[in-house]
Amino acid sequence: MTSKVTINSLPTGVPGLDELLGGGLPEFSFNLIAGQPGCGKTTLAHQIMFALASEARPALYFTVLGEPPLKMLRYQQQFAFFDPAAINRRVRFINLSEEAMAGDLDHVLARITEEVAAHEPSLVFVDSFRSVVLATDAGGHAHNHLQRFMQQLGMLMTSWQATTFLIGEYFTDTDANPVFTVADGLIWLRQSVQRNAMVRKMEVMKMRGQPSLPGLHAFRINGDGVQIFVPAPVAAPQALGGPGSGRASMGVPGLDDMMDGGLPRGYSLLVAGPSGSGKSILAAAFLNAGVLNGETGVIAAFERRPGRMHSNKALAQAIDNGRISLVESHATDLSIEEVMQLLAHEIRRLGATRVVIDSLSGFELALGPSFKDDFRESLLRLVTSLTGLGVTVLMTSELEDRYTDLRFSPYGTAFMTDAIVVQRYIEVDSRLRRVLAVVKVRDSGHSDQLREYRIDDDGIHIGTMLADQEGLLGGRPTTRREGAAA
Amino acid sequence: MDSRESSRFTAPLTQRVAEDADARQIADAIGAMWSDIDAALQPVLGRRGVAALFKRTLHLTTLRYPWLAPLNGGTVDGKADLAELTELFASQRPAIVMEAGSSLFMTFRELISSLIGARLSEQLLQTAWSTSSSAPPAQDPTP
Repeated sequence: MTSKVTINSLPTGVPGLDELLGGGLPEFSFNLIAGQPGCGKTTLAHQIMFALASEARPALYFTVLGEPPLKMLRYQQQFAFFDPAAINRRVRFINLSEEAMAGDLDHVLARITEEVAAHEPSLVFVDSFRSVVLATDAGGHAHNHLQRFMQQLGMLMTSWQATTFLIGEYFTDTDANPVFTVADGLIWLRQSVQRNAMVRKMEVMKMRGQPSLPGLHAFRINGDGVQIFVPAPVAAPQALGGPGSGRASMGVPGLDDMMDGGLPRGYSLLVAGPSGSGKSILAAAFLNAGVLNGETGVIAAFERRPGRMHSNKALAQAIDNGRISLVESHATDLSIEEVMQLLAHEIRRLGATRVVIDSLSGFELALGPSFKDDFRESLLRLVTSLTGLGVTVLMTSELEDRYTDLRFSPYGTAFMTDAIVVQRYIEVDSRLRRVLAVVKVRDSGHSDQLREYRIDDDGIHIGTMLADQEGLLGGRPTTRREGAAA
Repeated sequence: MDSRESSRFTAPLTQRVAEDADARQIADAIGAMWSDIDAALQPVLGRRGVAALFKRTLHLTTLRYPWLAPLNGGTVDGKADLAELTELFASQRPAIVMEAGSSLFMTFRELISSLIGARLSEQLLQTAWSTSSSAPPAQDPTP
């Protein structure tokens, strides 16, 4: 009879980390948290420790050299997860500076063994491991000593059924460091500084036996500790959408007809137009139409200053009533994953059916510089994830006032949306007038008309075609003369 | 610090000595209490960490009790200084010893609280405060 061992996965208590690790922390694993000073190693370790330690199986946190424990305690207790009542009960700090200063790894190991035997911890942390390495005084045999120390420590911890973390500063990840070989898990924290923005990123370089998420993932440290923004699982678009499964009214008289009865539910719509053409007004009308229909919505506003959103009374009221949730961010170092997380949270909370992103241009500006390179890819992921949640999405996109070419978005994003409405300025009789057209509604017999529209306090009013003008998209139409056509 | 908190703090010292104790007995109690604090904190903060806190405490307490000054010169590092501390206290009048001893621990408590917060300090020092097996039974604090 063979029965294979089941490796339990421990929930780390760090938002996003379980997903990143590929399903939690394998029990009795021997892990390394590495990164440069100040990148959040100790914070991550503490957060995991306070989440997992219990009185029956406490956590031991060995402080070696490096940061004095007094300072560590002073700063770590600022985080919400730090529970002073847990100290000396489910969490024990043990200082090994004397042993480490003596420079003898055997002493350090002996002391660790002694404490582990005394407390039978479920979790063991050694912070920082680099100081253990630096303290090694082995006259040229440091490498061998360290390797032996590592192996013994790894063996000891696993035998004592302890999940272990070594916290260390390693400046290069290419070092053939013996620690990397012995470790079951390797969590690397990085800080990417570009221009005046700093973004923290985490990479699980190794996690034995688990399908960890590859690549760098943004994380943030705030009063609650570390929060990692992992990509939302991209669900297959739901059976919503497509013709016949209901349409969402746009809230602008006439526009639904132009779109063959409204925007099919589960679709994404791009509203493109130059500054001031009324994209945000159209977006607000779309949300209000939902509210009137008993639906809820979420609006992500990146551009407007706080308070300006309230210039639209109906929308402001819906926000006040909690029918529409306003997701605002004025950070300059957002990642798409973080935005997605914010949106998904609000969508689930309200059971929202309509989502507006106003605008993509502002959204791009709000991203950290290091995220801008993959803006298109990330945006595609965002759109797919959102429509995967079953919501109908409207995004606005700023167009340059350029008449020589017909473009719908500066990002090449037009192909990823299911529908496009474009707004343009035209000059007629020395006046700046506005026209709009439905360029695309996938699988729908939408209108092909260029219709004039005007904006007043009640919103957008769509008029007729300017049948007597031609060359509208060139921005300077001419009056068509009867019989002039060849 | 309000008076209730400070009385809670000095309680361990008053609990450790009888009312009619002489200077030597009080000094020994102060020494024992310091040892307990040291034992409670050393595993967490390290020997040098606790020694540094003690040195700072002595420095602050000496401002009020200049006769503690001889302790300030050398390196405060372990048991030798504890013996010296006990001797210095034992050479004073009992009332002064009691007062200075209380002040010493109060200063220490304020110091550590300012660094790691009152709650965590209490948590770490719990074992030191509760070590009173050799002391006379606890009395209700006089109102």
